[in-house]
Amino acid sequence: MVRLQPDPFLNELTSMFERTTEKGSVWVTLKHSSDKSKLQRNKMKTAGEKIELRCLIRATDGKKTISTMVGAKDHQRFQSSYATILKTRMTALKKRERKEKRKAADSDKKQGSKKRSSAAKISK
Amino acid sequence: MVYIASWDDFVEKSVQLFRADPEKTRYAMKYRHCDGKLVLKVTDDKEENLKLEVIFTTFSFLLSYQCIKFKTDQAQDAKKMEKFNNIFFTLMARGPEVYLHTPSVRKEWIYLKLAGKKMQRPSQPRKEGEGNNSVLPISE
Repeated sequence: MVRLQPDPFLNELTSMFERTTEKGSVWVTLKHSSDKSKLQRNKMKTAGEKIELRCLIRATDGKKTISTMVGAKDHQRFQSSYATILKTRMTALKKRERKEKRKAADSDKKQGSKKRSSAAKISK
Repeated sequence: MVYIASWDDFVEKSVQLFRADPEKTRYAMKYRHCDGKLVLKVTDDKEENLKLEVIFTTFSFLLSYQCIKFKTDQAQDAKKMEKFNNIFFTLMARGPEVYLHTPSVRKEWIYLKLAGKKMQRPSQPRKEGEGNNSVLPISE
Protein backbone atom coordinates (compact mmCIF):
# COMPACT_ATOMS: atom_id res chain seq x y z
CA MET A 1 0.00 0.00 0.00
CA VAL A 2 1.58 3.22 -1.14
CA ARG A 3 0.48 6.42 0.60
CA LEU A 4 0.71 9.40 -1.70
CA GLN A 5 -0.13 13.08 -1.75
CA PRO A 6 -3.40 13.92 -3.56
CA ASP A 7 -1.78 15.09 -6.83
CA PRO A 8 0.61 12.14 -7.37
CA PHE A 9 -2.30 9.91 -6.39
CA LEU A 10 -4.39 11.33 -9.23
CA ASN A 11 -1.54 10.79 -11.70
CA GLU A 12 -1.15 7.19 -10.57
CA LEU A 13 -4.90 6.70 -10.82
CA THR A 14 -4.85 7.92 -14.41
CA SER A 15 -2.09 5.48 -15.32
CA MET A 16 -4.05 2.72 -13.58
CA PHE A 17 -7.04 3.38 -15.81
CA GLU A 18 -4.75 3.37 -18.84
CA ARG A 19 -3.26 0.02 -17.88
CA THR A 20 -6.63 -1.68 -17.41
CA THR A 21 -8.29 -0.75 -20.71
CA GLU A 22 -7.87 -4.19 -22.25
CA LYS A 23 -8.05 -6.33 -19.17
CA GLY A 24 -8.72 -5.89 -15.45
CA SER A 25 -10.66 -3.55 -13.16
CA VAL A 26 -10.07 -0.44 -11.14
CA TRP A 27 -11.45 -0.25 -7.62
CA VAL A 28 -11.71 3.09 -5.85
CA THR A 29 -12.82 3.16 -2.21
CA LEU A 30 -13.75 6.14 -0.09
CA LYS A 31 -13.80 6.06 3.69
CA HIS A 32 -14.18 8.54 6.52
CA SER A 33 -11.08 7.89 8.62
CA SER A 34 -8.74 9.46 11.12
CA ASP A 35 -5.62 7.69 9.90
CA LYS A 36 -4.79 6.58 13.45
CA SER A 37 -4.93 3.13 15.00
CA LYS A 38 -7.67 2.21 17.45
CA LEU A 39 -5.23 2.39 20.35
CA GLN A 40 -4.18 5.91 19.47
CA ARG A 41 -7.79 6.95 19.01
CA ASN A 42 -8.79 5.58 22.42
CA LYS A 43 -5.85 7.37 24.00
CA MET A 44 -6.89 10.60 22.34
CA LYS A 45 -10.46 10.13 23.51
CA THR A 46 -9.45 9.68 27.12
CA ALA A 47 -7.04 12.61 26.88
CA GLY A 48 -9.91 14.72 25.51
CA GLU A 49 -8.10 15.57 22.28
CA LYS A 50 -10.11 16.16 19.15
CA ILE A 51 -9.61 13.47 16.50
CA GLU A 52 -9.26 14.91 13.04
CA LEU A 53 -11.31 12.92 10.55
CA ARG A 54 -10.52 13.08 6.87
CA CYS A 55 -11.41 11.21 3.73
CA LEU A 56 -9.26 8.20 2.92
CA ILE A 57 -9.22 7.29 -0.75
CA ARG A 58 -7.80 3.98 -1.93
CA ALA A 59 -7.35 2.79 -5.49
CA THR A 60 -6.19 -0.56 -6.82
CA ASP A 61 -6.00 -2.45 -10.08
CA GLY A 62 -5.79 -5.80 -8.35
CA LYS A 63 -2.01 -5.71 -8.20
CA LYS A 64 -0.92 -2.32 -7.00
CA THR A 65 -2.66 -0.26 -4.32
CA ILE A 66 -2.32 3.45 -3.75
CA SER A 67 -3.97 5.69 -1.20
CA THR A 68 -4.28 9.27 -0.11
CA MET A 69 -5.91 11.35 2.60
CA VAL A 70 -8.00 14.37 1.68
CA GLY A 71 -9.11 16.90 4.27
CA ALA A 72 -11.95 19.35 4.35
CA LYS A 73 -9.88 22.16 2.82
CA ASP A 74 -8.68 20.45 -0.34
CA HIS A 75 -11.56 18.08 -1.03
CA GLN A 76 -13.26 20.40 -3.54
CA ARG A 77 -10.19 20.60 -5.74
CA PHE A 78 -9.53 16.88 -5.50
CA GLN A 79 -13.19 16.18 -6.25
CA SER A 80 -13.12 18.16 -9.51
CA SER A 81 -9.83 16.61 -10.69
CA TYR A 82 -11.13 13.16 -9.83
CA ALA A 83 -14.35 13.82 -11.72
CA THR A 84 -12.36 14.92 -14.79
CA ILE A 85 -10.29 11.74 -14.72
CA LEU A 86 -13.42 9.58 -14.49
CA LYS A 87 -15.12 11.45 -17.32
CA THR A 88 -12.18 11.00 -19.67
CA ARG A 89 -11.54 7.38 -18.72
CA MET A 90 -14.98 5.85 -18.36
CA THR A 91 -15.75 5.67 -22.03
CA ALA A 92 -16.70 2.01 -22.34
CA LEU A 93 -20.21 2.46 -20.95
CA LYS A 94 -23.19 2.29 -23.32
CA LYS A 95 -24.66 5.52 -24.56
CA ARG A 96 -28.13 6.65 -25.60
CA GLU A 97 -29.76 3.26 -25.59
CA ARG A 98 -33.10 4.80 -24.70
CA LYS A 99 -33.13 7.16 -27.65
CA GLU A 100 -32.31 4.30 -29.97
CA LYS A 101 -35.11 2.25 -28.47
CA ARG A 102 -37.50 5.17 -28.85
CA LYS A 103 -36.52 5.59 -32.49
CA ALA A 104 -37.06 1.90 -33.08
CA ALA A 105 -40.43 2.07 -31.32
CA ASP A 106 -41.46 5.15 -33.34
CA SER A 107 -40.50 3.55 -36.61
CA ASP A 108 -42.48 0.43 -35.65
CA LYS A 109 -45.50 2.56 -34.84
CA LYS A 110 -45.28 4.34 -38.17
CA GLN A 111 -45.08 1.05 -40.01
CA GLY A 112 -48.03 -0.21 -38.02
CA SER A 113 -50.17 2.83 -38.89
CA LYS A 114 -49.23 2.56 -42.57
CA LYS A 115 -50.25 -1.07 -42.64
CA ARG A 116 -53.56 -0.23 -40.96
CA SER A 117 -54.32 2.61 -43.40
CA SER A 118 -53.44 0.41 -46.39
CA ALA A 119 -55.59 -2.40 -44.96
CA ALA A 120 -58.46 0.06 -44.46
CA LYS A 121 -58.19 1.19 -48.08
CA ILE A 122 -58.20 -2.39 -49.32
CA SER A 123 -61.23 -3.29 -47.22
CA LYS A 124 -63.17 -0.27 -48.62
CA MET B 1 -25.93 -7.97 -0.49
CA VAL B 2 -28.64 -6.06 -2.20
CA TYR B 3 -28.59 -4.76 -5.75
CA ILE B 4 -30.82 -1.73 -5.86
CA ALA B 5 -32.60 -0.97 -9.10
CA SER B 6 -33.51 2.67 -8.51
CA TRP B 7 -30.67 5.19 -8.49
CA ASP B 8 -32.38 7.66 -6.18
CA ASP B 9 -33.16 4.87 -3.75
CA PHE B 10 -29.53 3.82 -3.76
CA VAL B 11 -28.34 7.36 -3.04
CA GLU B 12 -30.80 7.87 -0.18
CA LYS B 13 -29.91 4.59 1.47
CA SER B 14 -26.17 5.17 1.07
CA VAL B 15 -26.30 8.52 2.80
CA GLN B 16 -28.47 7.04 5.56
CA LEU B 17 -25.99 4.22 6.04
CA PHE B 18 -23.13 6.65 6.25
CA ARG B 19 -24.84 8.97 8.70
CA ALA B 20 -25.79 6.01 10.87
CA ASP B 21 -22.17 4.89 11.22
CA PRO B 22 -19.64 7.28 9.70
CA GLU B 23 -16.60 5.48 11.13
CA LYS B 24 -17.33 2.15 9.51
CA THR B 25 -19.16 2.95 6.29
CA ARG B 26 -17.16 2.83 3.09
CA TYR B 27 -18.04 3.49 -0.53
CA ALA B 28 -16.33 1.36 -3.15
CA MET B 29 -16.47 1.70 -6.92
CA LYS B 30 -15.35 -0.90 -9.46
CA TYR B 31 -14.90 -0.10 -13.10
CA ARG B 32 -14.09 -2.62 -15.84
CA HIS B 33 -13.27 -0.99 -19.13
CA CYS B 34 -13.05 -4.31 -20.99
CA ASP B 35 -16.62 -5.25 -19.97
CA GLY B 36 -18.01 -1.72 -19.83
CA LYS B 37 -19.41 -2.31 -16.36
CA LEU B 38 -19.59 -0.07 -13.32
CA VAL B 39 -20.51 -1.29 -9.82
CA LEU B 40 -21.00 0.89 -6.76
CA LYS B 41 -21.07 -0.55 -3.24
CA VAL B 42 -21.76 1.10 0.09
CA THR B 43 -21.39 -0.98 3.23
CA ASP B 44 -20.75 -0.69 6.94
CA ASP B 45 -19.49 -4.25 7.35
CA LYS B 46 -22.17 -5.12 9.87
CA GLU B 47 -24.28 -8.23 9.90
CA GLU B 48 -28.00 -7.90 9.45
CA ASN B 49 -29.86 -8.13 12.70
CA LEU B 50 -33.48 -7.81 11.73
CA LYS B 51 -34.87 -9.46 14.86
CA LEU B 52 -33.48 -6.77 17.12
CA GLU B 53 -34.79 -4.09 14.81
CA VAL B 54 -38.32 -5.50 14.91
CA ILE B 55 -38.27 -5.50 18.69
CA PHE B 56 -36.90 -2.03 19.26
CA THR B 57 -38.14 0.02 16.37
CA THR B 58 -40.65 -0.02 13.59
CA PHE B 59 -39.67 0.86 10.04
CA SER B 60 -36.13 1.66 11.05
CA PHE B 61 -33.74 1.86 8.17
CA LEU B 62 -30.74 1.64 10.46
CA LEU B 63 -29.60 -1.97 10.52
CA SER B 64 -31.65 -3.22 7.61
CA TYR B 65 -29.21 -2.31 4.87
CA GLN B 66 -25.69 -3.48 5.63
CA CYS B 67 -24.47 -3.61 2.07
CA ILE B 68 -26.11 -1.97 -0.90
CA LYS B 69 -24.92 -2.15 -4.46
CA PHE B 70 -25.73 -0.59 -7.77
CA LYS B 71 -24.52 -1.91 -11.11
CA THR B 72 -24.78 -0.39 -14.54
CA ASP B 73 -23.40 -0.30 -18.04
CA GLN B 74 -24.95 3.05 -19.02
CA ALA B 75 -22.97 6.22 -19.61
CA GLN B 76 -25.76 8.34 -18.11
CA ASP B 77 -25.23 6.58 -14.78
CA ALA B 78 -21.60 7.67 -14.82
CA LYS B 79 -22.84 11.25 -14.72
CA LYS B 80 -25.13 10.45 -11.81
CA MET B 81 -22.24 8.74 -10.08
CA GLU B 82 -20.21 11.92 -10.39
CA LYS B 83 -22.76 13.80 -8.33
CA PHE B 84 -22.91 10.91 -5.91
CA ASN B 85 -19.11 11.13 -5.59
CA ASN B 86 -19.41 14.83 -4.79
CA ILE B 87 -21.89 14.07 -2.04
CA PHE B 88 -19.70 11.42 -0.50
CA PHE B 89 -16.49 13.43 -0.79
CA THR B 90 -18.17 16.27 1.09
CA LEU B 91 -19.61 13.93 3.70
CA MET B 92 -16.38 12.08 4.27
CA ALA B 93 -14.00 15.00 4.21
CA ARG B 94 -16.09 17.25 6.41
CA GLY B 95 -18.04 14.88 8.59
CA PRO B 96 -21.55 13.39 8.71
CA GLU B 97 -23.21 16.48 10.14
CA VAL B 98 -22.35 18.66 7.19
CA TYR B 99 -25.06 20.61 5.42
CA LEU B 100 -24.92 19.38 1.87
CA HIS B 101 -25.55 21.88 -0.86
CA THR B 102 -23.87 22.14 -4.23
CA PRO B 103 -24.84 24.54 -7.03
CA SER B 104 -25.59 21.74 -9.46
CA VAL B 105 -28.57 20.44 -7.50
CA ARG B 106 -32.08 19.54 -8.46
CA LYS B 107 -34.84 21.46 -6.71
CA GLU B 108 -36.12 18.29 -5.13
CA TRP B 109 -34.80 18.02 -1.55
CA ILE B 110 -34.44 15.06 0.76
CA TYR B 111 -34.41 15.75 4.48
CA LEU B 112 -32.45 13.27 6.57
CA LYS B 113 -32.36 13.21 10.32
CA LEU B 114 -28.95 12.54 11.84
CA ALA B 115 -30.25 9.36 13.46
CA GLY B 116 -30.98 8.11 9.96
CA LYS B 117 -34.62 7.30 10.60
CA LYS B 118 -37.58 8.66 8.68
CA MET B 119 -37.44 10.16 5.24
CA GLN B 120 -39.47 13.16 4.13
CA ARG B 121 -39.74 14.65 0.71
CA PRO B 122 -41.08 18.20 0.79
CA SER B 123 -42.63 19.61 -2.35
CA GLN B 124 -41.15 23.08 -1.81
CA PRO B 125 -37.51 23.84 -2.37
CA ARG B 126 -35.11 24.84 0.32
CA LYS B 127 -36.05 25.52 3.94
CA GLU B 128 -33.32 26.72 6.21
CA GLY B 129 -32.73 26.06 9.87
CA GLU B 130 -34.76 22.97 10.45
CA GLY B 131 -33.47 22.14 13.92
CA ASN B 132 -31.34 19.03 13.93
CA ASN B 133 -32.21 17.99 10.39
CA SER B 134 -29.43 17.89 7.86
CA VAL B 135 -30.40 18.70 4.34
CA LEU B 136 -29.27 16.68 1.40
CA PRO B 137 -30.13 18.00 -2.01
CA ILE B 138 -29.70 15.73 -4.98
CA SER B 139 -29.95 17.01 -8.45
CA GLU B 140 -29.95 16.10 -12.08
